[in-house]
Amino acid sequence: MCTKWRLMTQIGNQTKPAAPAAKPRGFWDEAWLRFRRRKLAMTALGFVVFMAAIALFAPAIAGTKPVVCKYKGQIYFPALGYFNTHWENPVFAKDKFRRSYVKLKAKDPNSWAVWPLVYQDPYRRLGKDDVWPGQPENPTGDQGHPNRYNLFGTTQTGVDVFAQMVHGTTIALLVGFVSMGIAGLIGIVIGAAAGYFGGWVDMIVSRFIELVMCIPALVLILALIAILEKPTIWHMMAVLGCTGWTSIARLARGEFLKLRESEFVTAARALGATHARIMFRHVLPNSLAPLLVPITFGIAGAILTESALSFLGFGAPPPNPSWGTLLNAGRTNLNLWWLVFFPGTAIFITVLTYNLIGEGLQEVTDPRLRGSKH
Amino acid sequence: MLHYLARRILLGVVTLLLITFVVFGLVRNMPGTPLTVGLGDMDPSRKVNPEDIERMKKSYGLDKPWPEAYLTWMGSLARGDMGRSFSRKQPVSRLIAERIGPTLMLSVTSLLLTYLLSLPMGLYASVRTNHWDERSLSTGLYMLYSLPSFVAALFLQIVLVVHLGWLPLFGMTSDNYAELSTLGKIWDVFQHALMPIACETYAALAYYSRFVKSNLEEVVRQDYIRTARAKGVGPTRVMVHHALRNTLIPLVTLIGLTLPGLFSGAVILEQIFSWPGMGRLLFESIRERDYPTIMGLTLMFSILTLAGQLLADVLYSVVDPRVTYS
Repeated sequence: MCTKWRLMTQIGNQTKPAAPAAKPRGFWDEAWLRFRRRKLAMTALGFVVFMAAIALFAPAIAGTKPVVCKYKGQIYFPALGYFNTHWENPVFAKDKFRRSYVKLKAKDPNSWAVWPLVYQDPYRRLGKDDVWPGQPENPTGDQGHPNRYNLFGTTQTGVDVFAQMVHGTTIALLVGFVSMGIAGLIGIVIGAAAGYFGGWVDMIVSRFIELVMCIPALVLILALIAILEKPTIWHMMAVLGCTGWTSIARLARGEFLKLRESEFVTAARALGATHARIMFRHVLPNSLAPLLVPITFGIAGAILTESALSFLGFGAPPPNPSWGTLLNAGRTNLNLWWLVFFPGTAIFITVLTYNLIGEGLQEVTDPRLRGSKH
Repeated sequence: MLHYLARRILLGVVTLLLITFVVFGLVRNMPGTPLTVGLGDMDPSRKVNPEDIERMKKSYGLDKPWPEAYLTWMGSLARGDMGRSFSRKQPVSRLIAERIGPTLMLSVTSLLLTYLLSLPMGLYASVRTNHWDERSLSTGLYMLYSLPSFVAALFLQIVLVVHLGWLPLFGMTSDNYAELSTLGKIWDVFQHALMPIACETYAALAYYSRFVKSNLEEVVRQDYIRTARAKGVGPTRVMVHHALRNTLIPLVTLIGLTLPGLFSGAVILEQIFSWPGMGRLLFESIRERDYPTIMGLTLMFSILTLAGQLLADVLYSVVDPRVTYS
């Protein structure tokens, strides 16, 4: 289609060379142009990129494992062990490092290492034989006020809060995107089927959506988590995705119901396109914009739900530096204000960010709101 | 209309049956039973021996497969019996009756406050659009809207309770509640309720006042507003009498949708403030695997959700004569 069109303009250009056809901007180019003009939404988008950078470089920002080191003539990247324990070379376990890489120089005088910016561990307290030379041990109990070694203070067991929060960024990001990815997929497929086929399919699917919407969300989520017995953070994301698709499905149904009557669908059908092709190649791109808005708000909602569940003690089990888990630790001892203040502010800013992006998207893609502001 | 109502109610009953069936299956398949969770975890000496568990299982009907147990539950429900709580040794209906008061106290107060505050705030914001005071008000409300209630609750607890010592930390009454005079009792409960109500109200307030504002902005562009201005009606009267009235239509339907929330209570807030309400009951009953209580609460919330949706639709046709169901 596209090449044919271009061919025709070329022919047109040959006959009328004076008017070079300006490439028409597509819907998304147009929306992006308008989105870029919105300062708040762009700041929010920038913040998401910033969070992604923190998540990606978390082991280099705070950790106890060298980012790069040379040990016995070999180059290693032990910090990758924070992403996956198998990516940490077994040679260090064999040489009895016992997780403490400060011994590097003692084991091999010719070694060198590039260390993370902040020498603190998100999973354990830095004790006497573990700590960076010259740095005091991590305080425990009520003594862990924020100080120059523990920027955001320590928990009652002496684990550094800053390191936990930096490593928890990954969870906050992943929870939003993965769970809403799942929810979006389920919602769009179910809603599309209902709206496109109509009739008894629509009847059954709509009842099903209503059913899931009416089950108290907490009962559904907690029951599913309990059935999994040992939920990891990935299970949590799956559960949040499998329970959060209803509003997207309803919207998708409405969009497909509206668009299936349009002329381009009739045209595609006349050309012999299959149902699946019409649904996902022709209708879906035209209904994506209104669906993206609830998905963005859903990301904020998923982050909120995950931190709330961790806060209530239903999150992934302990070696899990989720912000909600930190809040839960702060709740049991309110004198440790830093356990509440830092993760609480982080959750707040993250939710605010996605809400701002969602609102920006809504205003640049919804033709009814276009031009009403700014 | 009657036909429409009958069809909706019939559909609602079918949905209810399905919901209770699904939830029953889910909770019965959660690992642990009300007999094993709780007792043995805390104290090994209190662990019930296997024969006793078998005997208790039989008496509670836990030995049957869950579809059969569901039918039994439905049967007694049809006779008006919601069953007895396992962990609290009380009829579920009495438990709910006990807990519903405190929850309504929070949610109704918060709803009234929300409506009372959001209308003038929304009105003010739409009149002063793009002035600095509107900007700061709207920004503030937007921030509040994004602030999770459990974070706000913890911040309030730290500042007002731990640092300033003005309010009690949690619970609904103080220890010496029974000795207080009537006025003292009211004051005591008021002090305890202040933080939970504030936390329940602020987010809704932000949402509602934005809602009022955006609706007002739409209404103000209508022809009849221009007509009213043209015939010399003053600006205050135009806003309050002509514009605000028409923004009430969507607000009325919102009432229907908030209905289940009024009774279900805010689970996390009730948990943080140890408020003896419905949300906390639900949370505890899930943790204790207290099947009859979970089912009773689920049934109640589902009925309220369905009734709220129906109410919203019916109210919509009442306040907006253009909408009819026939």
